[in-house]
Amino acid sequence: MGSEKDEQFAMFEEKVKRTVYVDNLSLQVTEPVLRTALDQFGTVVSVHFIPNYTEPINSSQCALVEMKDSKEAKSVITVIAQFPFMMSGMPRPVRARPAEVEMFDDRPVKPGRKISFRWLESDDPDFEVARQIKRLSKKHVAEAAFLVKQHMAEEEKLAKQQQETLKGNYKKYEIVDSVMADGTARRLAKHYNMRISDD
Amino acid sequence: MVETEQVENVEFQWGKKKGIGGKKKDVTFYESFTYDGVEYFLYDSVYLYKEGEPEPYIGKLLKIWQNPDKTKKVKILWFFRSCEILNYLGGVDTRENELFLASGNGIGLANINSLEVLAGKCNVLCISNDSRNPQPSDEALKKADFVFCRTFDVGKQEVCNEICDKIAGVEVKLLLNKADSSKDVKRTDKDGKDASGIAIVNTQLEDPSGRDISNGELTLTTNDSSLEKSTKENVDLKGSIEKSSNEEKSSAHAIERGIGMGKTSSIIKHENILGDKVPPKLKIDSNEKPGNAKDVEGRVKSLRESAEVEHRPAKKTKLDSSVQLSPGKTENDIEKLGVDHNNGDTLASSPKALVSEDASRAKNVKDSHETKGSFLKKPKLDEKPTKVSNGKNLKASSLIHGEVVEVTRRPDADRSRWFKGLPWEERIKDAHEQGTLVLIQNLDPSYTSGEVEDIVWHAFNESCTAKMIQKTANSMPHIGQAYVVFKTKEAAEKVVRKLHEGCLLLANGSVLVGSFETPHLSSKKQTFFGHHCIDKLRHQMQREMKGAVSTSHCSQPNTIEYDMAMEWCLLQERSELVGKQLFKQQEEELRKLKSKLKSR
Repeated sequence: MGSEKDEQFAMFEEKVKRTVYVDNLSLQVTEPVLRTALDQFGTVVSVHFIPNYTEPINSSQCALVEMKDSKEAKSVITVIAQFPFMMSGMPRPVRARPAEVEMFDDRPVKPGRKISFRWLESDDPDFEVARQIKRLSKKHVAEAAFLVKQHMAEEEKLAKQQQETLKGNYKKYEIVDSVMADGTARRLAKHYNMRISDD
Repeated sequence: MVETEQVENVEFQWGKKKGIGGKKKDVTFYESFTYDGVEYFLYDSVYLYKEGEPEPYIGKLLKIWQNPDKTKKVKILWFFRSCEILNYLGGVDTRENELFLASGNGIGLANINSLEVLAGKCNVLCISNDSRNPQPSDEALKKADFVFCRTFDVGKQEVCNEICDKIAGVEVKLLLNKADSSKDVKRTDKDGKDASGIAIVNTQLEDPSGRDISNGELTLTTNDSSLEKSTKENVDLKGSIEKSSNEEKSSAHAIERGIGMGKTSSIIKHENILGDKVPPKLKIDSNEKPGNAKDVEGRVKSLRESAEVEHRPAKKTKLDSSVQLSPGKTENDIEKLGVDHNNGDTLASSPKALVSEDASRAKNVKDSHETKGSFLKKPKLDEKPTKVSNGKNLKASSLIHGEVVEVTRRPDADRSRWFKGLPWEERIKDAHEQGTLVLIQNLDPSYTSGEVEDIVWHAFNESCTAKMIQKTANSMPHIGQAYVVFKTKEAAEKVVRKLHEGCLLLANGSVLVGSFETPHLSSKKQTFFGHHCIDKLRHQMQREMKGAVSTSHCSQPNTIEYDMAMEWCLLQERSELVGKQLFKQQEEELRKLKSKLKSR
């Protein structure tokens, strides 16, 4: 029984090794999109989107993509780290990481682990410490939530700023374009006695 | 009886033949058979044990036949316990001992099994008001192990209140209560016998003392007449069989389910002797959390004690040894033991019971003890109930603060998973609306959902379904979180309150935190920052994007897109660094605090 579990866990660890964790995915990204996108680096075996129920504002997706072997998984991670990789939109790139055991939903129980616990009595010397631990961890959770919020705000800011830049750039090109289109350029050339035609 | 010769093997005998069938007319169908001293009929409800399952499956015999190769098969129509189809009940109230009859078409309706897997009969009554269903008497209801009035459609996966005309090709009339009420009573009594059947089968599986038990079975047959004589309460032989089976039943119930708190063994014995009155208290459905081994143990002790107090203490050891292990005991020994028991019994029971030095009487009582011995063994030998009782004990000890509790698999951990649950998204949403959703924090992130369920079971004695929140790049490395859905709002509130008031210290030094949290479920209003397009081109873009599958590319360094992508990368790196820094700091704080714990 034990060896069977060990084996199962070893198999699972293999799976972890050939899996890539991808995040910063747009909400429009679906399984076929992700599959096609990463198929160019190897063979995608399976795709699993990690649902997220806790983060207060969550507007990007993350997913686990299992490749054929760990070599392929590595190459996906290197390529995406080297070149900003766009999926279902731009310019925010997706990010790829090696997957970790805890990311999997259906992970088997780690063999040989024993869990034990005890209820502390209120006169136990550890009781107060335990309460403090509880408070501290609550604080930590709050801090982490704040960080996520902050990060989201920054993302939004950057997105807005980039949108402005893009608009500005687009306007510039439009003006340049229209100068050619509505004959202004030709009139000016005539005025200054310049040749603008390509011949 | 015939079985007398077959001490070693589990007895088996075919009953009434029903017909022959199969392609070559070589399959014989039967209406009844006797297996291990229990007579089974078509459409009886039966228990089926499966290795590793804490509670037996329950089903109805739909077909009984023997293949040409002499293998005996039964077709079983399943009953579902409410906990097995919890996700489909949709908050419908169920009785504690309510079962759901499988109906419709699909996986989980019926199975063909070897006849040998039967572990005993189960007394299931239909309490539906349906006109086709003969209403059970109150008395019969009290005796019933389980009741059912609804069906579970395995195809549609929903609970139906109406019972349809045919289930698995069988007229539903046959599956409801039997029409003849007197027969019914007889049936229930026979069912009593099966309870013993289970115990016996169990012990035989796990214990070489099978011979001993079958001995008990044998004498049981002799005892009938003697009991009849000695008590002079019964008119016919049948009655005495009923009695003895009742005896077994009550003791089986007492031990298996550990009910009748505060009842002394003498009372139980008393009932045993009186036979036909099975105390209603002992009759409790098995949906109730299975028995407390300690309780049983206690009873065994008190039983022994009473024997000791009232009789020669020297005999007590013998009694003990027989209760624990007595294969190959000499007849003489058993006889003596029987006498001993006999005395004990008569004293413990009421003066109504006649004291008789008659050897057969002694044998009779001995027999009842013998069988009882096998029941008593059950909690010890059978792995499953032990585990169950563990759970109970743990519950008790969780109330006694300060004790370290080892978390093992909880009893119903490996429930049959025939049906996939609803998607978690919906379950969490429903549970949140019903107030049964609790977020438990401070777990070890490496725990699996199953382990969280185990912890909850051991700590609060509540069963639940848990989902570990999967780790992402943003999640905290030192705090694991899980959503836990309880069966009732009260249970959820209890758990949150207990976690708030008390401190549940895990072995790794974490203290669990529980709270009602609003889950963040995907709503359509979300926006994803960072994907831009030119307003004028948006329309065209959207059209192109629709149905597009290949939308990915690597950015080239000489574009504006690349520049912007770099800005994003910068932001991502920065926030990750900040996160890492924060988590490192937090872990340090936590480590310091944990080192203050004296018990570690």
